[in-house]
Amino acid sequence: MSKVITIDPVTRLEGHGKITLKLDARGEVENAHFHVTQVRGFEKFSEGRPFYEMPALMARICGICPVSHLIASAKACESIMAVEIPHTAAQLRRMLNLAQMVQSHALSFFYLASPDLLLGMDADPSTRHLFGVAAAYPELGRAGIGLRRFGQHIIELLGEKRIHPGWVVPGGVTEPLTPAKRDEILAMLPEARAGVQLALKSYKEITYRFEQEIAHFASFPSLFMGLINDDETVEFTDGALRLIDANGNIVADGITAKKFTEVIGEAVEPYSYTKFAYYKPYGYPEGSYRVGPLARLNIAKSFGTPLADTELRQFKQVENGPVRGSFHYHYARLIEMLHGVEKIEHILNDPQILDKHVRATAGVNRLEGAGQAEAPRGTLMHNYKVDSNGKITWANLVIATGQNNNAMNQGVLQAARHFVHGEKLSDGILNRLEAVIRTFDPCLSCSTHAFGKMPLRIELINSDGECVDITQR
Amino acid sequence: MENVWTLHKGKAMKPAISTARMKCLVLACGNPLRSDDAVGLELARYAREWIRDWEAVAVVISATQWTPELAAEIASAESVIFLDCCTDNAPGKVALRVVEPCERVQPSTHHLHAAELLALSRDLYDALPLRAFLLTIGAASLAMHEGISDTVADALPIAKEKLKEVLKICLAR
Repeated sequence: MSKVITIDPVTRLEGHGKITLKLDARGEVENAHFHVTQVRGFEKFSEGRPFYEMPALMARICGICPVSHLIASAKACESIMAVEIPHTAAQLRRMLNLAQMVQSHALSFFYLASPDLLLGMDADPSTRHLFGVAAAYPELGRAGIGLRRFGQHIIELLGEKRIHPGWVVPGGVTEPLTPAKRDEILAMLPEARAGVQLALKSYKEITYRFEQEIAHFASFPSLFMGLINDDETVEFTDGALRLIDANGNIVADGITAKKFTEVIGEAVEPYSYTKFAYYKPYGYPEGSYRVGPLARLNIAKSFGTPLADTELRQFKQVENGPVRGSFHYHYARLIEMLHGVEKIEHILNDPQILDKHVRATAGVNRLEGAGQAEAPRGTLMHNYKVDSNGKITWANLVIATGQNNNAMNQGVLQAARHFVHGEKLSDGILNRLEAVIRTFDPCLSCSTHAFGKMPLRIELINSDGECVDITQR
Repeated sequence: MENVWTLHKGKAMKPAISTARMKCLVLACGNPLRSDDAVGLELARYAREWIRDWEAVAVVISATQWTPELAAEIASAESVIFLDCCTDNAPGKVALRVVEPCERVQPSTHHLHAAELLALSRDLYDALPLRAFLLTIGAASLAMHEGISDTVADALPIAKEKLKEVLKICLAR
């Protein structure tokens, strides 16, 4: 008799999703799915709006990474305008995106993942949360909160708001940087740098405890994709995409936003509202790939900043070739935070950073435009079509979570086959299945939040549709 | 829409623990698109106006949700006044109570309660305000709507009076 186990919702994620496991008659896992159960509709209801409204509208998709949507959207608009933005505006946007990356990674690592990493996957769930970390590891807790504040405060300084700043607009940014704000950000850097270094040290000290998780949390060969500069350094805001295979061979390079939809397709599965992106020449699902911190570190040769480059060299020793274990998304995330702090300092020391010319202007010069950027959790692409008056007639967004969707599903299946045997699930096993998803830090629907208490309920249903076991917390 | 961190704008970010503790921190929580949920923000506006006449260091922060980062602000305050609506009390009922850090928590990464924020401040920074108050008004409606209900609007003068009293206590030399 086959059985289905449902984990709904998956906790400590951005947004709401559920996991189902199908067991065979012997109680072994036959299949697993990660379902994204929300539907949004931003692409549809933006139709008819003026294109220059798009950055502000699209930023509302997400409360954690609105900056990435702002930037990808503004770049798509600039493609429609056929303008190149001023150097200073590009640098300021880069800094804003890095600040967002730091605060988002801090949320993912310290608030969502560190309870599992520091307290243990099998720790009592009543203490396996941020408060448990704060009580047991206050120094790390302070570092996490400090890094969130660091990133958020830079966003607020530049964009006047921590969430959904309106500062990034088609053509550049609305206001230049002032010397006072530059100096304030520079003064925050040492504490932020120390916080990341502390977290990196702690992570390296505890990874030996997670041998099983490292081996079975979405650890398999796949393609990897991310933005990269011409000098093969990691890039978050500009550059072009590179796709490599599991052995590190370059599959495709120099993929601009305009070319994105020529090479990347989107498949649909009946069990999820999130699409499944794939590399078209390989077809679906063979062309599925991973994006985000792990992919970015796998495709790049360096960061171009000294401390992060030292860490990257160690990271590349983890496996022989590209790192396949998704558990190491956490490691990659910390190294990216270190780079973010370093790169922000580098940008602030750009002699042109206080330049007042930060915006280019133009009307509709093309009827279609696309823009891409790296969100904290992976590559983000916005593609718009407009009429001659600049009204949106069609929009498509390819988000990081969709690009990691197949890997997350395969990862849950891999972990479930290793950890789940029989009908009864312990909390530790349940937590491991959720933790697979957490490694990817998916953003299912950040701008929607639960009202009230979020329950976690697991049902074991037999092939006759009868519920044979329920676990709830 | 109320700006968060309003009084921080353009000023240096406060250290997690300042050498000179701020006299009073007012933390308001609410969503202006959810009817009476916005009442904390309305009280924060009143507090902001009222403390202008005081020389003491005071900060008012309005947020849609209370997030863990606010523990750092709490750790640097002598007194904290939390402002929120509530669903536990009868609609329009004004309640003022002392808040203590809780021992057991059911945390969310998106939203914490006043007692949880105090506990986090204690655990992370080994610091608690000398006094912490929670002022609430019972919500009559949390529907998707801009503007508070008549029931809660009628209760606002009482809540403002209580807020003024507690501000006086917190700002007293």
